[in-house]
Amino acid sequence: MNKKYLPFFEQAKKLGITASELNFQKSRTTSIDIFHGQVAAFSISDNQDLVARGVLNNHFGAAHTEKIDKANIINLADQIAVNAVLNENDDPAIIFKGSKKYRKKNVFNPEIDQITVDDKIKLLLDIEKRLKVADKQISEVSTVSYEETYTESALMNSYGLDLSNKSNYFYIYASVVAKNGNDVKTGYKIFLNNSFKDFNIEQFVVDVVQDATQKLGGKPIPTGKYKTVINPKVTASLLGFYMKSAVAENVQKHTSLFEGKLGQQIASSKVTINEEPLKNNIFYNYFDAEGVATSNKSFIEKGVLKTYAYNLSTAAKDNVETTGNAGGGGSKIGTTYTNLGLKPGRLSEQDLFKKMQNGFYLTEVQGLHSGLNPTSGNFSLQASGFVVRDGVLAEPVSLITVAGNLLDVFKDVVAVGNNLELQTSSTSAPSIFIKKLAIAG
Amino acid sequence: MISKNLAIQVLNAGLATGADFVEIYLEENPVLVIQVENGHVKEIDSSLGYGAGIRLLKDLQSVYGSTSDVSRKGLLKLASQLAASFNGTPIKKVEKISKKRSHNYYPEEKPLTDIPNQDKIKLMKECSNLMSEYDPSIKISRVFFSESSQKVVIFNSDGYLFEDYRPRLRMFFAPIAVGPNGMETSGEGPGATGGWEFFTDIHDAKNTALKAAEQAVRTLNAKECPSGKMPVVIGNGFGGVIFHEACGHSLEATSVAKGLSVFSKKKGQQIASSLVTAIDDGTIDKAWGSINIDDEGHPSQKNVLIKNGILNSYMVDRLNGRRMGEPSTGSGRRQDYSFEPTSRMTNTYIDNGKSTPEEIISSVKLGLYAKSLGGGSVNPATGEFNFACSEAYIIRDGKVAEPVKGATLIGSGEDILKNIVMVGNDLKRAQGMCGSLSGSIPVDVGQPTILVSEITVGGRGGQLQ
Repeated sequence: MNKKYLPFFEQAKKLGITASELNFQKSRTTSIDIFHGQVAAFSISDNQDLVARGVLNNHFGAAHTEKIDKANIINLADQIAVNAVLNENDDPAIIFKGSKKYRKKNVFNPEIDQITVDDKIKLLLDIEKRLKVADKQISEVSTVSYEETYTESALMNSYGLDLSNKSNYFYIYASVVAKNGNDVKTGYKIFLNNSFKDFNIEQFVVDVVQDATQKLGGKPIPTGKYKTVINPKVTASLLGFYMKSAVAENVQKHTSLFEGKLGQQIASSKVTINEEPLKNNIFYNYFDAEGVATSNKSFIEKGVLKTYAYNLSTAAKDNVETTGNAGGGGSKIGTTYTNLGLKPGRLSEQDLFKKMQNGFYLTEVQGLHSGLNPTSGNFSLQASGFVVRDGVLAEPVSLITVAGNLLDVFKDVVAVGNNLELQTSSTSAPSIFIKKLAIAG
Repeated sequence: MISKNLAIQVLNAGLATGADFVEIYLEENPVLVIQVENGHVKEIDSSLGYGAGIRLLKDLQSVYGSTSDVSRKGLLKLASQLAASFNGTPIKKVEKISKKRSHNYYPEEKPLTDIPNQDKIKLMKECSNLMSEYDPSIKISRVFFSESSQKVVIFNSDGYLFEDYRPRLRMFFAPIAVGPNGMETSGEGPGATGGWEFFTDIHDAKNTALKAAEQAVRTLNAKECPSGKMPVVIGNGFGGVIFHEACGHSLEATSVAKGLSVFSKKKGQQIASSLVTAIDDGTIDKAWGSINIDDEGHPSQKNVLIKNGILNSYMVDRLNGRRMGEPSTGSGRRQDYSFEPTSRMTNTYIDNGKSTPEEIISSVKLGLYAKSLGGGSVNPATGEFNFACSEAYIIRDGKVAEPVKGATLIGSGEDILKNIVMVGNDLKRAQGMCGSLSGSIPVDVGQPTILVSEITVGGRGGQLQ
């Protein structure tokens, strides 16, 4: 442990704080935006935060600071004491002594730092140039940008636990405007990775352009219930909200759709939902926010709910082991998933269209944060997509709303595609084919 | 937070390679967050945000860097790293710094830092208990309180120093009602810039908490909203989020300057019904979205965006102002030092018209009364928006009839502005957090009751009959 943190633990002990913990987070980011052949924005940041927790009279106190000097490090212990006295949360307040085994691997990729800023700019300029000429209907390339992030974290506590991790990743993002007469549509794509080797510029440009031009001429379709294929992006968003119900805290508060459903069939047998924090180099996480070792596991297997997601406090309430899903920080540790995903099937997206024959292909929803109620599962969202006719994609559809319930969506899964995509939210999903979705045109 | 002497050195380090403008933004922001649930303190957390952002401009190019290392070494290093992006010679030098004074729109009568946390907790508990006692279906009654005391210091290469102190406080009431058919939530979040007097002398928090509880229970028992095209009356206060999302964002220079907004190059043109006058005003006393100066040091001001339907002004920050050849409107804002500022809203509202809310409702034979709206989003290039109604009723024969839930309004900002056919005289503002390029910032939205002749409504209740 870095010696400069010792005064915190000394002060905490002096104040009668029985167990205490420091969580240090540091991030360095570089981002570049290109507009009309020039660097329109270039930014770097180098930020740090020190989060402290401690237990006094069985209650947590918490505080954090971005000003990390000796006075503020000691002050964190004082703040813990002040806040713990006012805290009436009777949930078990536990600072973790340590897991038996941690599976630490080095996921930091030096390649990202080795490529010069100039070369990264050249790549973005090349993308912009290609996007401009890729299709006559592209009226503007609104954004071509790059961002790389390096993060470093360390967790230290008064029991001697001392864990650390460093990782990096980057993304390339481009968005365009397509026009045909008065009809205007936008399209975008994000490439997220921690290695440049997998970036294919030709494919990237085609995807961005298509995302916009395909939507031109979109019209509503008649109100009714449609068989629907949902693309990976929308499936992943819905999955994220669906899995809030597997969070033990929500179950204990009776705000979960999965309450009392452990061991039961809650989704179609085609649905298996895994969390794999140790799988990839990006979103790799070998210890959670409480210092518990993480593991790869299934929450839903062939439609059957296997476990809820726990942290130390919610696990103690249910008298089970934590699943290593602690997230957040401060006085109230929450629950989070790292690299949550819907297990892919065998069929390609084209095969799903063939299987469906006639229906709707849902590619975009808006207003998830307001139009979807995670506690009731009901949603009503502005959406767009395409008609699928005789097993192939037909005309674009826009300005419609789709409505339904999250539980029904995952019960109604007929088939799961093989086109797994990782989203920036760290959730991944392939396309799914569901029996019915209510559409208002 | 740093001496004028150090500021001059850092500014000149930024100017060393030909930048034509350099700005240092320093911030110290103590924040307190408390959560009460069913009458008990569930969470209490204090934090200190601290750091600096440095920006260099050269014509239309901008480079930005931020750091939590505000030492002499840290700042000079950051300025030099940023200056390395240009390869010219200095075109100007800062010799001295003079302070620019500004008006204070939010003097604290009862300074937040003088009020014991016990007093804040006492009021929160009273509100939480009122919600719980309102109806047995209210199973969880959460109250959130947040206060921040943001101190901002800005130096720029024009040789000026600007300072602002922004005390802010907000309470958020979030009850959850549970019934046989599921559960419903609602939310009310009154807030202000100023001191504790907001909750003792200005705003009745308990009354607002009760309103939130009523709303959650009413939604629990409401039918699903029908779907289709229909006339919609949008209620005052938070109903103004419609203008914020569907039009406000498209009037920000961030999207206008690059020609990406539906309102680009439309100044002087009729873009809305002649009944519509819309304003962005950062100078309203103690309002949640008010600022004495923007985050570029420009004094905040009252900007008339649309006057009688005609586009009058955009919201402009320094950099986009260069792109557009227009002066700043005091609209450069950012969440904190880690964000480069850009044009954002402050307190944005549709101004009063002449109709009474009763006249507006009684003019509708069959339609929707969207009394209060939840959040929403908009695509600035197409102007397409959507947002959810948090409180809605069917209007039958000019009277407010049964409550409905799950209603979504969708359409485009351009169309809706033109389809506003009545504007009420009951202007009210409500508080929100607005997320965009430069982070999440406090803003007020607002409007009187308005009637839109036709909006597409999404819902699960079939055809409107």
